[in-house]
Amino acid sequence: MLEQLLIFTRGGLILWTCKELGNALRGSPIDTLIRSCLLEERSGAASYNYDVPGAAYTLKWTFHNELGIVFVAVYQRILHLLYVEDLLAMVKREFSEIYDPKRTVYHDFDETFRQLKMEAEARAEDMKKSNPVGRTIVNGKKQGQGQKPGSEGGSKKKSEGSLKSDGGDGDNLRGHKMENGHSNDHFVVTKESKVNSNINGKENESSNVGAFDVNRLQKLKVKGGKKTDTATNTTTKASKAEPKKKMTKKNRVWDESPPETKLDFTDPVGENGESNIDVVAADQGESMMDKEEILSSESETEEDDDVGMNNKPDAKKKGWFSSMFQSIAGKANLEKSDLEPALKALKDRLMTKNVAEEIAEKLCESVAASLEGKKLASFTRISSTVHAAMEEALVRILTPKRSIDILRDVHVAKEQRKPYVVVFVGVNGVGKSTNLAKVAYWLQQHNINVMMAACDTFRSGAVEQLRTHARRLQIPIFEKGYEKDPAIVAKEAIQEASRNGSDVVLVDTAGRMQDNEPLMRALSKLIYLNNPDLVLFVGEALVGNDAVDQLSKFNQKLADLSASANPRLIDGILLTKFDTIDDKVGAALSMVYISGAPVMFVGCGQSYTDLKKLNVKSIVKTLLK
Amino acid sequence: MDEFEQWKEQVVHWWNLGLEYLHQVPPTQLYAAAAVLAFTTFLLLLTVRLFKRAKSHTIVLTGLSGSGKTVLFYQLRDGSTHQGTVTSMEPNEGTFILHSETTKKGKIKPVHIVDIPGHSRLRPKLDEYLPKAAGIVFVVDALEFLPNCRAASEYLYDILTKGSVVKKKIPLLILCNKTDKVTAHSKEFIRRQIEKEIDKLRASRSAISDADIANEFTLGVAGEQFSFSQCYNEVTTAEASGLNGEISQLEQFIRKYVKP
Ligand SMILES: Nc1nc2c(ncn2[C@@H]2O[C@H](COP(=O)(O)OP(=O)(O)OP(=O)(O)O)[C@@H](O)[C@H]2O)c(=O)[nH]1
Ligand SMILES: [Mg+2]
Repeated sequence: MLEQLLIFTRGGLILWTCKELGNALRGSPIDTLIRSCLLEERSGAASYNYDVPGAAYTLKWTFHNELGIVFVAVYQRILHLLYVEDLLAMVKREFSEIYDPKRTVYHDFDETFRQLKMEAEARAEDMKKSNPVGRTIVNGKKQGQGQKPGSEGGSKKKSEGSLKSDGGDGDNLRGHKMENGHSNDHFVVTKESKVNSNINGKENESSNVGAFDVNRLQKLKVKGGKKTDTATNTTTKASKAEPKKKMTKKNRVWDESPPETKLDFTDPVGENGESNIDVVAADQGESMMDKEEILSSESETEEDDDVGMNNKPDAKKKGWFSSMFQSIAGKANLEKSDLEPALKALKDRLMTKNVAEEIAEKLCESVAASLEGKKLASFTRISSTVHAAMEEALVRILTPKRSIDILRDVHVAKEQRKPYVVVFVGVNGVGKSTNLAKVAYWLQQHNINVMMAACDTFRSGAVEQLRTHARRLQIPIFEKGYEKDPAIVAKEAIQEASRNGSDVVLVDTAGRMQDNEPLMRALSKLIYLNNPDLVLFVGEALVGNDAVDQLSKFNQKLADLSASANPRLIDGILLTKFDTIDDKVGAALSMVYISGAPVMFVGCGQSYTDLKKLNVKSIVKTLLK
Repeated sequence: MDEFEQWKEQVVHWWNLGLEYLHQVPPTQLYAAAAVLAFTTFLLLLTVRLFKRAKSHTIVLTGLSGSGKTVLFYQLRDGSTHQGTVTSMEPNEGTFILHSETTKKGKIKPVHIVDIPGHSRLRPKLDEYLPKAAGIVFVVDALEFLPNCRAASEYLYDILTKGSVVKKKIPLLILCNKTDKVTAHSKEFIRRQIEKEIDKLRASRSAISDADIANEFTLGVAGEQFSFSQCYNEVTTAEASGLNGEISQLEQFIRKYVKP
């Protein structure tokens, strides 16, 4: 069962909830989804899991960017509901028709929703029942259709009729879903698209041909029908035939929708839709009648619309003139394929700035999800719109979500009369000890009593190195040679600090590769045993793709190897060697994105004073330069 | 093409005529004319600016996430909380006559109200609206105040030390929301706690190196316990309940700085 379905504005006002479902949700899954997923530039993902005692929810969502509304469905994870995406897409489509920014109450949507839900459930049922083998094929096909509008850069926008004429069976709904729900389809697509690659391949050929010729369209329709007939399994027919009858009455409603929402129907979708009708029509004689009627009535509108839609040529023929015209007139709605070139360029630029590929990719997906369906303002180019959206996203990511005022934390600990403990962790040779000394110097300047703890009992020379720093800065150091367990050394150091009235203990640990299980276990133990106030990850600003691996593995291992139920993860990042990287500042972004922890310090030189705060604005500027 | 050439020649011709005429005018007269022109444009720009500033009718709602800004926004606009709210991802913005004033007769000046999301990642948005604000409302959750005291104080500190706020002395109202519940803290208590917290923040925000968090301005008088009376701008406190629509004190604040 669906637990809840919410429609709300990006401003946060709930427009509609399903009172019928009415189950009070445990915890606050929606707020959590927004705070820790949608606002963290992860809205490109397919779903989000939310756990509270007594419930494990999965949330799925879709945006309507032009209207600025969000649709979220919540259901129990164990139920693996198949129809949720489908339902969300339909709800989105139906709701966007009645949405009016001035209106705040939508009681009349209750009835529409009940119907949509029933249909979606019925379709999911049919899919399950019709044939367990066939199911995967139908599924695969559906996903494949969804993929095309996104992956195919060129051919879009045939006449709307091509989709309309797909008649009243379930595929109609799917067609709409394609149009609106890319963000949702996106992830599933990658998994299943290979199932039907042969279908796609064949149909792509024909889909790029003519656009507005009705005759040709109909010819194509026949062709398409034949193709699918041969290409797809016959099980498709059986599963399609049933829901079709139920849907015919609904079809009328969709015909009345304003034309502009249809402008971006993509032809591959339409064609797949059509071919399915043909399959159905060939199979089941009795419903031919109403099919025919719908088809003919719609080919008329097709012709009518052709006149008004001459300014939408095939994308490949689109020259500079039409793109200029678009930029002046303001384009109808941005599609994923429109955004792609600009996003690709932006992704490449981010990668030249040393942002890990995976992160650049995810960011672009999230930006695409936030722009798709939006109207392009007059006199703006797509690239500048994408650029602006990316800039906003970057500022958002790099702005710390927790306080990075360590001094304030130290003062709080001081009031409670216990030392503030910072553990420095990281891989080998990134400059942990050096930067520990810098932090110590900085704290000293603020009249704070610092103590160092040499817990790198692994690498020879590490203790001596720290001792040198301590002597230069006149800071007490706690050391126990190389024999002891670092967790114990740290524990004793903290006890010693409480005794001698030190305010802060800076714990140096051995550098370790993220894959080194025994050493990671030791680190986990150290952190678990001493429960430090701050776990500071020291990372080189030079790293590229490895940044993701380092941080995610560190966090992962700390979580896995920890004995407590609430493991401590990395709280903050210290970026070292920032002076050596010129404009390749991408590591800052990669690390912050992957860990969610803020950059607390930046090490930028050889002397004790070379410690800085990260300047978010200048980093963003550099990244996009 | 020919037409274009002709047209070009015509322009060149006019240009030359103009130049000739200029050469005939004595230079002193020319300079005087230029000076007068520059002066008038300057005056014009100045008046436009003054005019604009005087007309500012923007009230900014800020505060931590969950303090009730969006609820208050819709109470002000529609006199209703509708079906509730979720965490905002974008500011809510509107220019309207307050709902309580809709029954009044005569022409009333509408207010431009902006509700800025409280999520810390969205805070940079605030900088877009502060420069043109006539007043700032800092909403505090009086119910869950203590666990959020430090975060709220830090946010407030950042606002009070922003150049755009200090230089224009934009008045600020600390609005203690959710007073419909009996366990809500009083505004006096909240004010005192925040003052204490800001006093501590002053110590940690005094920069001596690049590694410090530096604010544009410092608050209060050095060596003295901080109190809001030391601020450059006026800071007042008030109570409200967005849920019950008890927002008269908020409306008073708005109408004090955006005259009807
Ligand atoms: N008891 C009580 N609850 C309130 C009141 N005002 C708001 N709330 C509740 O507080 C919660 C958050 O309100 P919002 O208005 O969404 O908070 P916000 O400040 O806009 O939060 P962000 O958009 O995340 O910045 C909602 O669940 C409201 O029901 C009030 O006056 N009394
Ligand atoms: Mg809000």
